[in-house]
Amino acid sequence: MNCSDVRDQLEAYIADDVTDVESMRIAEHLGRCESCAAAYERTRSVVADLKGISEAFVPRDRFVPHPAYGTGPAGGWVWRTIAVAASAVAIAAVGALSVPAIARELPFGVAKEFDALEDRAEDLQQQVDELTVRLEAIDGEQVAMVDTTPGDLAPEEAAAVQQLAMDFIRAQYAGDVAALEAMGTDRLKADLAARPGDYVREGAEGLTFAQMTEPALAEDGTYLIFVRLMDSGDWNESQYQEDFEIKLIDGRYLVDFMGMDA
Amino acid sequence: MEGYELVRRAQAGDARAFTTLVRHHERSLYATAYAITRSQWDAADAVQDALADAYAGIRSLRDPDRFGAWVSRIVVNECNTLLRKRVRVVPMEEPPEPQAFVWDGPEDGLDLMRAVHGLSPDHREVVALRYFRDMKLGEIAEVLGCPTGTVKSRLNRAVASLEAAMCPRTEEEVSR
Repeated sequence: MNCSDVRDQLEAYIADDVTDVESMRIAEHLGRCESCAAAYERTRSVVADLKGISEAFVPRDRFVPHPAYGTGPAGGWVWRTIAVAASAVAIAAVGALSVPAIARELPFGVAKEFDALEDRAEDLQQQVDELTVRLEAIDGEQVAMVDTTPGDLAPEEAAAVQQLAMDFIRAQYAGDVAALEAMGTDRLKADLAARPGDYVREGAEGLTFAQMTEPALAEDGTYLIFVRLMDSGDWNESQYQEDFEIKLIDGRYLVDFMGMDA
Repeated sequence: MEGYELVRRAQAGDARAFTTLVRHHERSLYATAYAITRSQWDAADAVQDALADAYAGIRSLRDPDRFGAWVSRIVVNECNTLLRKRVRVVPMEEPPEPQAFVWDGPEDGLDLMRAVHGLSPDHREVVALRYFRDMKLGEIAEVLGCPTGTVKSRLNRAVASLEAAMCPRTEEEVSR
């Protein structure tokens, strides 16, 4: 084997994609040819670096298959992305090292939750791998429910929070500002009065609840719930998310904050 | 559980088995799609659509051992469809992209990805399939529908370009 043959095979040799005989001949040549050995070292280094980044992209949205329901395309099965950026599982998905960076991007209440979760990142990773998504009927709608904090809340407590979030969204799409006001705390009412355009939505015909997280209770008594949805407005191609902070005041669940998320 | 068994179970309609299977492949599929499309969000869209197609069509996969190559092909096709669509879009100043991924690699890894993005589309494809999807020349040739020799020469040229971009040789070395 001459230098030209070896150079031609170098990439395949490094990728272990040559026959045993070729491999032996190349190794033998590299042992006695300084120039080819240097070329080998350069290619090997780039190849190693390339392999080193093959697992480096951690998607923010992960994929879970589940049965179609009503609005899904014909054919039986649809996919929905999970709102990982907003759910506790996201943090586990990227491992302990990435937790603070993500937590900083989230609302204060959520960030606090994540701080507490940091120590349990490894456990959570396990949970993410076994993440369960189930379909649940809420107010006559089949919604995919992401088990982020299973068992933390009493069922009726969780149901009340979920119901409120859905009612709020429906009122947004109905353009019913009075109803939104009635469902909000004073803080929300003030924001609603200042920026009603941030709350009212169009495209109600295509409103689809894609996914919802199990509500979580933060240390300060705020319930956090994230709802992923689609509508038939301008951006009907993609889902978006509404993040809710809900408080229990005088026995009534009220929305304290609603933010939109990608 | 082995990939083979997971594929068999997914083919029998076990959504959890498919999810587990996807977890094994998703990072390298994203890396592949990102290499080809050069856009994080196009990559995310391509992988999402590809996995939906894969789930819908997994019963058509005859050899469960070939799942990796099969799903790679679907991703590459989705990416190319997206790229074709994008050609028709009037180019304009693009706003900085929000991130569809969290980077979990070495610090200088993104420089290498930029170098990959600097390659021609044909070269980006083979590099991604070879090093992100860990495929043999024959498998890549099958996925891309071109002769093995073509894949090999593209790979050689692509790797040479990456070497030049990442560790430019000194004049002394070049003159040897």
